[in-house]
Amino acid sequence: MTPPGWSYNPSTWSERLPLIGLAVAGFAVAGYLALVQLGGIARAWEPFFGRGSETILHSGISRLLPVPDAALGAAGYLVDAVSGAIGGRERWRTMPWIVVVFGIAVGPLGAVSLLLVILQPVLFHAWCTLCLLSAFISVLMIGPAMDELLASLQVLLRERRAGRSVWRAFWKGTD
Amino acid sequence: MWARVAAALAGLWLMAAPSVLGYAGAARISDLIVGPIAASLSIVAMSQVTRSVRWATVPLGLWAIVSPWVLGAPAAARVSGLAAGVVLLATPWVAGRRTARFGGGWRSLWSPRHA
Repeated sequence: MTPPGWSYNPSTWSERLPLIGLAVAGFAVAGYLALVQLGGIARAWEPFFGRGSETILHSGISRLLPVPDAALGAAGYLVDAVSGAIGGRERWRTMPWIVVVFGIAVGPLGAVSLLLVILQPVLFHAWCTLCLLSAFISVLMIGPAMDELLASLQVLLRERRAGRSVWRAFWKGTD
Repeated sequence: MWARVAAALAGLWLMAAPSVLGYAGAARISDLIVGPIAASLSIVAMSQVTRSVRWATVPLGLWAIVSPWVLGAPAAARVSGLAAGVVLLATPWVAGRRTARFGGGWRSLWSPRHA
């Protein structure tokens, strides 16, 4: 079923599978970088920026939190992939909560990636190829993920305007 | 689509320009911040549902043009900023193909008129 006034259904698998694929790819890249940060891999693959990757991956910023920042990125991609996969072809109206979780996971993860890309050269005068790749994957996901979010928000708004419970529609969906 | 690609490339260029053209200081930092933001916004605006995000590159383009003067960058950086800035400033007027309908779009969320 297509959302009212829409020309397509944003929750079909052909819409969602590419995003899940990107999230899995992002998880692989960020997971690899986390292994480098934890010492499991001695040195990150770095074809362009010499010692740049090492500078970035072992910077003070990357150690601000108890876990290395790439591990947080990998966890974020995992949330993207799982919340992208849960629910059927009608989830824009049957499961608004998971669509909202997905939208929130994709949006801010992309924003944090962008922030890290900005910090790399400004603070450390270095670049890191795989960090840039991870950020690129995050940014690629934002636009294509937003259509489902819009469809679900429209569902919730319709419920409110009809005087029905938004809370109930958010968790249980609508017909 | 070509307009979004052009704007994204202009942003990428601003990221690379300080190293390629060899300028430092405030102008370098400015371009290293504006560049990735402009490139990211342009990539997000490639999707039809978020196409209006393209307008956000207009103020970035203006800043890319004036900042080398304001921040005292060398001539090469001024030319580079002008070129990238003009692209970021001009491309939003090219909306590109919009074939999908979104039930009134984002505006429907705050204006019942568009629902």
